[in-house]
Order: sequence, then C-alpha cells, then structure tokens
Amino acid sequence: MRSFRLSPYLFIAPFFVVFAAFGLYPLSYALQLSFMRWRGAGEAHWVGAGNYLYLLTSPDFWASLGNSAVMWLLIVPVQVVAGLGGAVLLANARLRLRALFRVAFIAPFVTPLVAMAQVWIVVFDQDHGLVNHLLGLAGLPGVEWLTSTAWAKPTLALLFLWKTTGFAIIILLAGLQAVPGGVYEAAALDGASRWRQFWSITVPLVRRSTAFLVVVQTLAVFQMFAEPFVVTEGGPYGSTTTAGLYLYKHITASDLGTGAANSFLLVLLVFGLSLVSVRLLRAKDGT
Amino acid sequence: MSPTPIGRRGFLKGGLGAAALAATGGALAACAPGAPGAGGAGAQPSKLARPTASASSVKGEITVWNRSGDLFKVFDAAIGRFRQAYPNVTVRHQAVDIDAKLANTLISGTDVPDGSFWDDARIGGQAEHLYDLTDLIAPYRERTSAYKLSVNTVGGRIYGVPWDLDPGLLWYREDVLESAGVDPAGLATYDDLLTAARTVKEKDPRTRPIHLEKTPFLSQLWLEMLANQQGTSLTDAQGRLRLDSPEYRRILTWVRSAVDDGLVTHAPYLEPADISALDGGQQVFVPWAIWWSFAPQQLLKATKGRWRAAPLPAWTPGGARSGAMGGSSFVIPAKARNPELAWLLYEFLCFKEPGYTAVYGPNDVYPGGLSTSIPSYTPALDPDKPLFRPIEALGGQDLWKVAVEAAATIPAAAPIPGWWAQSVDYLGDNLQRLMSGRMSPDQVITESVEKIQRNLIDRS
Repeated sequence: MRSFRLSPYLFIAPFFVVFAAFGLYPLSYALQLSFMRWRGAGEAHWVGAGNYLYLLTSPDFWASLGNSAVMWLLIVPVQVVAGLGGAVLLANARLRLRALFRVAFIAPFVTPLVAMAQVWIVVFDQDHGLVNHLLGLAGLPGVEWLTSTAWAKPTLALLFLWKTTGFAIIILLAGLQAVPGGVYEAAALDGASRWRQFWSITVPLVRRSTAFLVVVQTLAVFQMFAEPFVVTEGGPYGSTTTAGLYLYKHITASDLGTGAANSFLLVLLVFGLSLVSVRLLRAKDGT
Repeated sequence: MSPTPIGRRGFLKGGLGAAALAATGGALAACAPGAPGAGGAGAQPSKLARPTASASSVKGEITVWNRSGDLFKVFDAAIGRFRQAYPNVTVRHQAVDIDAKLANTLISGTDVPDGSFWDDARIGGQAEHLYDLTDLIAPYRERTSAYKLSVNTVGGRIYGVPWDLDPGLLWYREDVLESAGVDPAGLATYDDLLTAARTVKEKDPRTRPIHLEKTPFLSQLWLEMLANQQGTSLTDAQGRLRLDSPEYRRILTWVRSAVDDGLVTHAPYLEPADISALDGGQQVFVPWAIWWSFAPQQLLKATKGRWRAAPLPAWTPGGARSGAMGGSSFVIPAKARNPELAWLLYEFLCFKEPGYTAVYGPNDVYPGGLSTSIPSYTPALDPDKPLFRPIEALGGQDLWKVAVEAAATIPAAAPIPGWWAQSVDYLGDNLQRLMSGRMSPDQVITESVEKIQRNLIDRS
C-alpha cells in the first residue's frame, strides 16, 4: 500500500486556491446577488426569484435577446462561409503572397475595437460619412446607417464581421491543415472535381473546427457590448441594445441584483445555444 | 493496522469542497451585500463634518475629476486660485470621461476620486455612494437657487454642491425676424412663437425655423426645461410620476403641431447636420439653454453675430419666462480619502467670490469670461455686475443681463429621481417618435408612463 504524500497536492494547490478565489467565489457571490435587490451600497433585500421573474416578463429583456439573435443571424452564418472561403484560399499552396494575405486577414482582429468603432461612426455618418458621400457620387440617396432601426443592426454586424472574420479564417485554416493530403489525392484519382472535393471532403472534415467557431462566436455575439455602446449607444429606439448592453444598463443603474440575474439567464441561454450548435454540427460524426 | 491512506481523487474532492465552502460560504457570509465591509455607504448616508483648521494650516492631497475640454482648463485656472488660498492642499485635477467612469467607480470602490463634477440628472441615482452635504451647505442654502437645491436633494438630504444654473432662453436670428417683420419682443407665448415661425416660413419657404432635438437624452432634458417653466417635472416630491398632466400634454401637443406644420428642423445638437442648418439659414429659432451660446461663439461662421438671446416665451400669458435645462454640481464620494479637503475646494469655487469670479470671469481660455452658464449662488447674480462680458458673436449683446433676469423666474422643482437617466430609454425615445410624427402626445404619455412605472419606479 502506498503511503500518502502531501507534496504533490501542495504543488497543485495554488491553482485550486486561485480558482476558488477568482472563479468559484465570484460565481457564488453573483448567484447570491441574483436573488437580491442591492444598489451596491446600503441594505440588501432578499427578493427570491423576483429579479428572474421581472426579466422573464420584461419586453425589454426579450427585445435585447431578439436584437442579439438578429445579430447572430447576420454574423455567424456569413462568418462561417467567409471564413471557410478565406481558409481555402490561404491553404492553396500556389497562392502568391500568402504571408501578406495572412497578415491582412488577421490585422483587423488585433486592431483596438473602440478605435474601429469610432472609424465606423465617421465612415457611416448620415450627413458627412464617406459611404453616403460615395453613394451620392453614384447618384444614389444617402442611407441612415446608424440612425434608422432598419440599418443600424446590419451596420454594427458589418463592424463585427470586419473585426473577427480573420479569427474565423485562422480557426478554419488550422482545421484544413489537419486534413491529410492523401484524401484529396485519392479523390482526384477517382475523378472528383475540385468543387466535389470541397463539398465531400473539406466541409465534412472541418466540421469540428466549424463547431468550435460557431460556439465561440455565439458567445461573442451574445456578449457583444463595445460595438453598440460606442457606435449607437443601443439606439435608435433600443434597436441595437444587445443582451450584453442591456445587462450593462442594470449595472450602471446600480440594479446589481437584476444585472446578476440577467447574467445567469444569458449564461443558460448561450450554453443551450452552444450545445445545440455542437450537436447539429457533430450529428454526422457519429461521436 | 496502518491508517487507510487518502486516495488522490478523494483528497482533491475534499480539498476542493473545503476551498469552495471557505471561499463561498464563509466569505459570502462576511461580505454579503449590506453587511459591514461589503462596501458602500451603509444604510445611513455618510455625513461630512466641517473642517476646523484654518486655510493656511489644512494640509493634504485630493484628486478631483472633471470633464475634458475648455471647461477643464477654466477650472484648472480657478483651482490655481484655490491653491493660493489653501497653500498646503495639493489638488490633482484630472480630465475624465465622467459619464462612462464615475458610476462604475462609485460602485466598485476602486480608485475613487475625492470629488467630481457631475450632471444634476445623474446624481440622484448614486446618492447612496455620496456624502450627505446638507449640513455643510446649510449656511449657503438661503442664497442658492431653489431649483438647484431641489435637484440635488434625495430623501430630504443634499448630495451635490450646486454649481451652475442653466436658464432656458430663446435664441433667434435678429436679421431674419427683422426682414420678416417679426418683433422679438412680441414673442410672449409659445403660440406667438408658432405664429412667428409660420410668418418666417411664408417669407422663405426653405426655412424650417424651430430647432427640435434629435438625441433622446437631450430632447428629454429639453422637455424637462419646458415642464420646469410650468412648475412641474417628471415626478413630484414623493417620487410619483406626473407625466400624465395638462402641462406635459400642452408641451407635447405644441411640438406635434409644429411638426405637422413643417416648422421644425429635427437635428442632433450642434452636430454637422445641425450646424449646417443653422449656418444655412434653415433654423431661425432655438429654444435652448444658455449653453447654446457656445455655437455662435465657436462653431457658426456664416451667421455669427446675427443671433440674439431673449427669455423663453411663456406657456400661459404672464407665466414664467424660463426653465432650467441641465446643470451640473460637484459630488464627494462616500469612499473619498480626503472628503473635507474636497469640500473646501468646492465651497471656494461655488460660494466664495474669488472662486466663482475665477470660474466665470475673464480668463486665458475665455477672454470675455465663461458665458455658457451662470452661478447658482444668488449673491453672484447681480444683473448690473456681470461676471462675463457682452458677447461679440451675439452682436455685443449683454447675455449676462438677459440670463440673470430670465433665471430669476425659474420655478423650483422636485428632486430629480434616481432613475431619470434610465427613463430616457422610454420617454426620450418616445419623444423622438413624436418629433418624427410617429406618435401622438397621448401615445407618448401612456406608453412612457407604463414603462417608467414598471421598469423604474416599481423597482427603485
């Protein structure tokens, strides 16, 4: 029988201490807070499920989820397609200046978001923006890119796509490079066209990378905050108040209990969505 | 028999459980909201005692936040005068995006300044994080604008040092009215203003004479100015909504009729579209706070020198000729390190002649003085002793006299509710719908009342 030795546990203890302090404790604290009414100072009042009930019966809460859902539809499918296209392009050994293209695709991802949001404000300004100026030169009327409920969401989605599609390309490129070259050679010998190889080999074999990408971007879209905060402040008429921005409004209003409850509802929702995405994309994997 | 060794998995489970319990159970019990040490001001507001040391002996360092821009430079110079009066007090004056940072800083309690400039409309929402200044302001209370005292009051206690008063004025194009045969002195009521706008439009159909604000926050602030003129505000002293009232309905109906008659330019405050409509002659009347004086002085080119200020029209014959629009005060966070020294600074800037003269009088930033507001401390408001000079960009008009006389008619108000800024998502947005012709006055009132009541009042 081996005797118990303490030293291995001492070596791994720091992780557990840090995890308990910065992971478990804040989580538990936030959970407790979600059942309370507290303004960050003074007395706290236990309200049970009151904060949750308020949110679940609030049209504003559902509107914020609806805004995020529309954003998801405008962003994630487009990003998967564009990311896969970019990845295939960069994986092509005959492509010249591949290194330059890789840098070009990743550059927006490392650009500060707030700076880019400011650029978006200037470029899409209704009266003096570059885009409407170009439309004017083409004899077309200007568009209320950031001040109409119809256009504000697509304009913000475009900013998100511009910023993060490079990341999608990298993820899918990594998936592509894991596909053995022999599979394509065998398909070519069997007379499969490039298009057939793409649909029958590339798409199925990067399904796991695609699933990862969809999960990560679902998280990102439902937590989207900086873009609407800087560019539209959630307007016009709340049409770009995303789930993340709606949560933030509770915090700045010192309604910390509702903010915490909103966080947990968001976690549950995103967890569910991610699970569905993974299941759907892995359905044919047999795993 | 040797003792049974503990399996690794069991040890880890036990250790993790103990750690989690210690971290969550014990720590939560100690740091639960509202418990001692949980942060915040506690159930009772923190009161600030008057410093007893003399000006030459008080010592220490304070960090105060202010907005960036010209106003920061003005205050920086005025703080220089404070340093002369209090030579042993070091003031670290910082330009900060206050609206974005202060509320979060007050809640988190991290790097809290000793004092900060803040919009009156936002102070009520954070009163529990601020010092109660009622006793300190008591000696100045009778000589401070009733409006400013009321908007800084929460639950009968004062939480902000009242700084500026921002009377609403009617800004108009003197040359345009002259050529249209409209006498500005005859604009006694808002109906007169509509009539004048129609006259101007008949003379020049290109014009859409009256400015209406396109941003929800500012448009709601503007609405409150017009309500204040009639002696009302969004809530009464008990915090009950009074949006569904003849006074608000009168304002909203007036706005809708101006919109329906094509008499308005709906543009965001002094953004390029607004400036272009002002300088291009499309806008002729701007009912707005005194701080609009910034436009002809700094932004307008083609129409510079052609604008003038007058008291606002009244809502009813003989009614008040001004209401307050906006305004700021100074707050001292409950977690400030040197709150007493911050009080001395703000007392100097707001209530002492060398202080408010340094702020409003001629300085390096504004050689003619700061003319975008007036003090709220009544001894400073003598129409015949102007703190700032007549303004060239207004054709040499004595704006000080116009503003001080208009300000004297501003009715007192009820305290601004803590949720005022959040109500913009409902009332401000609906006001925009009214201005776009997509809502009726009754719809604005009904829908805003319902949402504000449910989302803000019932949860405050």
